[in-house]
Amino acid sequence: MKNSISRQYIYLISISLLLLVFVLVFAFGVLIPEGKKYRLRHSELIKVSKKLHEYEDLEYDTTEKLKDLQQKNRTIITAFSMLFNPTRFEEQNKKWFSNLTVSKVNLSKKEGYFAIYEVNTSSEINSPKSFYNFLDAVNKSDWIIGVSFPIDFKRKGDLIHASFRMKVYCNNRDTNVSTSVSEAK
Amino acid sequence: MIYSYIKPRRKSIFTEDIQLLITFFTITLLMLFLTYAFLLYKDYSFTVQKKENLAKQEAILSHVDKIEQKIAKIQEQKNLSEEVFTKNIVLKDSISNLFDLVPVRITLSRAELLENGLILYGITPNKDIYNFMLQAPLRSIFNRTYSSFYPAQNGWLHFVSTNYIDKEEYIGEK
Repeated sequence: MKNSISRQYIYLISISLLLLVFVLVFAFGVLIPEGKKYRLRHSELIKVSKKLHEYEDLEYDTTEKLKDLQQKNRTIITAFSMLFNPTRFEEQNKKWFSNLTVSKVNLSKKEGYFAIYEVNTSSEINSPKSFYNFLDAVNKSDWIIGVSFPIDFKRKGDLIHASFRMKVYCNNRDTNVSTSVSEAK
Repeated sequence: MIYSYIKPRRKSIFTEDIQLLITFFTITLLMLFLTYAFLLYKDYSFTVQKKENLAKQEAILSHVDKIEQKIAKIQEQKNLSEEVFTKNIVLKDSISNLFDLVPVRITLSRAELLENGLILYGITPNKDIYNFMLQAPLRSIFNRTYSSFYPAQNGWLHFVSTNYIDKEEYIGEK
């Protein structure tokens, strides 16, 4: 019996089968795992990008909040960053007193963001009304000042001698502390 | 001597079938390798982008942290300044109330306002006026009140009134 398939066709079929096997092995062994990896990385990137957008929004909101706070509290922020100047304080407030002397500036303590200085003040006033006016004016001054105890009012002829302690609050920065103390001396 | 009337053809290994097969093979392999190369490139690109995004996230978080610290500081400044301003106003009202408390017939020569007390020095026509018009209201404010008297040259009485609030109360008010 004579074989009807020529040798050439047998070669062709063999090579075609070889290609088919190669394609299948390559597809299942390399391409499909790589495709899975691609999908995984893509979904990871989408997640990270989404998170990044959230953080960008958070950054924008926080920056806006800071700007708003800075704008609304500009006076207070400036007051805290100001170094206490006894001479300037005396000039600004002498209108409420017949005589005003700011004697000493001492660093009292540091609390978190703030440094507190104690200032001893002696003055002479015509009437308690002048002292009330001074207390109102102190809240609008260039510094954050709290008048504290002990407060001593003593009659001295027609005048009242008032001595009291003031606490000046400013930002707690070591460089500021040394500058302020030396300036006050 | 010629055995055939036609000229012999030159035979090539690249027959039409083989050429077709090679073209088909080439296109198939090319598509496979290109797909693989595309996937590798995308993988690399995604990894790089992910790293960049993570670095950006870190930078943003650190920036947000700094901003939040600034916000906290401003809010503390605001709270502290409000507290200080309120204390000044309360102090003003307290001093005003104190002076309003002193009746016209009693004259003060000195007033010491302490953190937990008040010491008043003055002159009164007699003890009764002092007791009814000054000591009574002071007793209602302070926990402990002590008074001492000594005669003045004009027949009136000098007095020293020492008044204290108990520690727990003024710490509570603070």
